Amino acid sequence: MSSQNKTISEKTAELNAIVGWFDSEDFNLELALDKYKIAEALAQEIEQDLLSLKNEINVIKQKFDKEK
Amino acid sequence: MENQKQNSQPIFSVSDFIAVFNQTLEYAYPNVEIEGEVASFKVNQGKFIFFDIKDKGGSVGCFMTVWQLRQPIEDGMKVVISAVPKLTQWGKFSLTVKTIRPSGEGALKKSFEILKAKLDAEGLFSAERKRLLPRIPEHVAVISSTQAAGYADFIKILNDRWGGVKVDVAHVQVQGEAAPDQIINAINYFNQCEVLPEVLVIIRGGGSADDLSAFNDEPLVRAIAGSRIPTLVGVGHEVDESLADLAADVRASTPSNAAQILVPDKNEIIRAVNNQIGSLLPRILQFIDQKRQLIMVSIELIANNINESIDEKIWGIKTIRNVLDQLNPMVVLSRGYALIRGEIKVGSTIEVETSKLILKTEVKDVVTK
Repeated sequence: MSSQNKTISEKTAELNAIVGWFDSEDFNLELALDKYKIAEALAQEIEQDLLSLKNEINVIKQKFDKEK
Repeated sequence: MENQKQNSQPIFSVSDFIAVFNQTLEYAYPNVEIEGEVASFKVNQGKFIFFDIKDKGGSVGCFMTVWQLRQPIEDGMKVVISAVPKLTQWGKFSLTVKTIRPSGEGALKKSFEILKAKLDAEGLFSAERKRLLPRIPEHVAVISSTQAAGYADFIKILNDRWGGVKVDVAHVQVQGEAAPDQIINAINYFNQCEVLPEVLVIIRGGGSADDLSAFNDEPLVRAIAGSRIPTLVGVGHEVDESLADLAADVRASTPSNAAQILVPDKNEIIRAVNNQIGSLLPRILQFIDQKRQLIMVSIELIANNINESIDEKIWGIKTIRNVLDQLNPMVVLSRGYALIRGEIKVGSTIEVETSKLILKTEVKDVVTK
């Protein structure tokens, strides 16, 4: 799945996993810079997504004054 | 013309008179609203309710069924009834009640407390029944009046805080007699959807105790408690408590608070994400610093080991040198001994070397020890 198709929740989970890697025993300096770049790109995407997404508000036409 | 007097006034049978009288009443008063105090309230056969509505000047008998009773009523309570006046076949004047609701702060409070105790005893408000709301819902249903200020507040806060949510709104009355049934119908509508919304939000802004009394309606409270969809209810202001609030999975103090509970604040999330990224570079630098310190410690350790090794070698050399020094003939001579060269026999000349002198001397005598 490309980064563009992921939801904000998925991107946030991926970012959390990378941040967790920095705290884990798997951390090594050789991979750290690449991981950092991925995390930075994810953070930018999350911010853009959050600022651009709009709520879809739909008022239902049905009347509720009588039993269906 | 047996049934007609000479002055042409009709002579009714009793049944006809009752029917005509009721027609006249229905024409003149198709529906009346009366405020008064309840007296002689009783339920017959678990189905039929009889009571009198009275004030200082009079009293009228009333009839209704238990299914029409939406809120607890008892003697002494001030109520407003909506009723149809009727003369029964036994000639008794009665009001057939369509709706009854407590009137005035005291009656509303009393009715509220009675119903609260009843539903609480049934476990409708217990903490074990409460369900969690999804952290970030993608599809929610809202039941409110789209013309109400509370709804506008909710939508504004929702849009300020988050995006990408599909919001289906059921426009209903949120006060008055029709409100409870409309809200129940909307709850049923969403609960019967093929794809259920993740949260059912029921909101209404502030108002008088009478305005908010729709949310203390027993069937409505039961419908909220029975919803398959987790419910979030925000009615009135912070100080207002309704039974709908208590039956909800999550209670919001106001419609704005409902929006705050429903979705996270995107600005807070952006700040948190940026803080996460900001913390990564210092971690890399900290790791490098830790490695550098480890290397420095290792270098120091190696240097110490080399120095210790050199010291050991120097000490060894010194020891050997001491031994060699002890073996040096000059050292022996310095302790007062002498070195003799030449043949040891009487009359021969021998050479005697001390630490400072070399003597040529003649052997005068040789004695064996």
